[in-house]
Amino acid sequence: MVKTLKIDELTRVEGHGGITVIIEGEKVKDVKMNIFEGPRFFESIIKTVYYDKVPDIMRRICAICTASHSLASIRAIEHAFHIQVSDQTQILRDLLIHGEIIESHALHVFMLALPDYLGYPDALKMSSEHFEIVKAALELKKAGNMIHNIISGREIHGMNERVGGFSKIPNERKLEIIKEEMLNVKKTAELSVELLARKEPPLNINSKNIFMALNPGGKYGFIGDEILISDGGKHHINDYLNIIHERTVNYSTAKISLYKNQPFTVGALARIILNKSKLEGSAKNMFKTYQALIREGNPLTNNIAQAIELVHSVERAVVLVDELLSRGVRDERLPVVNVKEARGVGAVEAPRGILYHDYTFDKYGCIVKCNVITPTAQNIASIERDYREAASSLINEDEDKIKFNLELISRAYDPCISCATHVIRLKN
Amino acid sequence: MKEPASENKPKIGVFSLTGCAGDQLMILNLEDTLIELLSKFEIKSFQEASSYSENIRLDIAFVEGSVSTEHDLEKLKEIRDKSSLLVAIGDCAVNGCVQAMRNSQTSIAERMLDVYGVEDNIYRALEPKGIGEYVRVDFEIPGCPVEKEEVFNTLISLLNGDPPLIPDYPVCVECKLNGYPCVIIEEGKPCLGPIITAGCDARCPSLGLDCVGCRGPIKGETNAKAELEALRKRGYPDKYIINRLRFFAGNFPDIRILGERKNSKGEK
Repeated sequence: MVKTLKIDELTRVEGHGGITVIIEGEKVKDVKMNIFEGPRFFESIIKTVYYDKVPDIMRRICAICTASHSLASIRAIEHAFHIQVSDQTQILRDLLIHGEIIESHALHVFMLALPDYLGYPDALKMSSEHFEIVKAALELKKAGNMIHNIISGREIHGMNERVGGFSKIPNERKLEIIKEEMLNVKKTAELSVELLARKEPPLNINSKNIFMALNPGGKYGFIGDEILISDGGKHHINDYLNIIHERTVNYSTAKISLYKNQPFTVGALARIILNKSKLEGSAKNMFKTYQALIREGNPLTNNIAQAIELVHSVERAVVLVDELLSRGVRDERLPVVNVKEARGVGAVEAPRGILYHDYTFDKYGCIVKCNVITPTAQNIASIERDYREAASSLINEDEDKIKFNLELISRAYDPCISCATHVIRLKN
Repeated sequence: MKEPASENKPKIGVFSLTGCAGDQLMILNLEDTLIELLSKFEIKSFQEASSYSENIRLDIAFVEGSVSTEHDLEKLKEIRDKSSLLVAIGDCAVNGCVQAMRNSQTSIAERMLDVYGVEDNIYRALEPKGIGEYVRVDFEIPGCPVEKEEVFNTLISLLNGDPPLIPDYPVCVECKLNGYPCVIIEEGKPCLGPIITAGCDARCPSLGLDCVGCRGPIKGETNAKAELEALRKRGYPDKYIINRLRFFAGNFPDIRILGERKNSKGEK
């Protein structure tokens, strides 16, 4: 007997997606993550645009990881035209990304994932019995947004970060406000780890996995030019197309990213696994306390990895502000850019994993070719593998239970479907 | 304010078509007031925030995102049919946003070939447009993204039975009220402030940047040719200016014709 399980619209995820699982007898025959977010053709529409406003368009691929897109875009342009930036710029960019991690992970961990652990359909319903938790979570998310506001000029789709630096450097008082706010919300970040650690993940599966993350350099962070792979591989980001193979598979219209013909995973779990030795302070201590809960084979433990990153980003933001203040904040003029025929690749660890922007320019500095690979697109193959794993292990359970668990997996990966759609085939 | 009984609360839904979901996120960004504000309404659908959804008649539907596929269009018509008031939130729903910038310049088939390597329109994609191109829209809140204060004020106005107030004057007005130096006159930057809807408190000029136009041109009041002429005089090439004007206004009548390609194939 063939039976088809379908979830038409995933909820509590970014964008529009669904799941189809086909079961034949006692076997899972087919799994699909269906994406029906409309295509926006960014790689096509950006052609002929002069480099200066390219990041302003490309960041609009996604609202929740807008700064990651903006910085990946800016770094691709800087690599193409050989532009060096100041230490101050690098610190401010780090700070901005930490703000994005805080805002995005707080939203995901508390509002989107935690209701599953505590048994509510959403955070609003959860707030009737856990008002203090939801209120604190909103404070934490707001603190991340505040970093965006101060550094980037707006919570979503800011404009202050530019090719070569920042248009206006935030003053010292504003940086102090960031620090005060981070110290205020640190407890909430720590609470997120403790809340998730109290319970076994609602689903336990054990998939064989490969992880990829950027090498952040000396400190645990989110910007880098080297790809680290859990099989020991190391590659410069310029070689990303030699590592990540996109291919069309016959059972689905989705383009799947594979590494050596295998699914691979990017995101918080991948970063924690590959860069854990660089954690510091309270994040390091919490990692040590709860590391048994971080399981390479269970994507649901991505939630606790995100929570540990929340703690890290809150603490790290304080350190970065202190560094800026001790150096003394100074105004800097944006460098003069000499455009030329060139190609540049930029990569950033967005909240959901490595994000690549790859541009080719003509001699006038206008885009002739563009390629973007988003973290969710890279994770689709892993998500489908885990659907298969979970559906197989639950095959004798009733349909609602299977569906609930498939949604859990989707949400654990924190997919960003708006991001993914310009590279993913939609369902027919 | 006394809590209205549940049956008297306006029933609302928040829906999303093709876009980045940033306008829904902006509603969630009303952190300080979110829980109290939403308690004044009965939320029947809010996809990004909740797995709870009910298919019933709504007093107010908020729609973000552009109509970019046949699926979007079907969904939009259903939402219109079951809602007393329809409010477009954000530039995607109002104007079609950045994904509409090549409308009348490249065909869907060309875009498909560029990104997916096939010409067939397998996603049933349409030329991206705002929702007002297809159904009656009662109010439009511009912005990419919307300003959260504007969302808050709109919700409160509608709660009180008042129409929301949206500026019908350009960004320049707010820029001057703030006393920012004009980035066109002082620095020769290609600012779109003179034709773009105010309401952002001149965010870009406040940072020394030229307005990129994310709130869209002022409907019925925009002289795109004059802006083109003004930037030409500053030495910007036509291709550059036309791209700039199109970023957030590919469907805007005066701008759509700029740089239009004759006989673009494959369009309906």
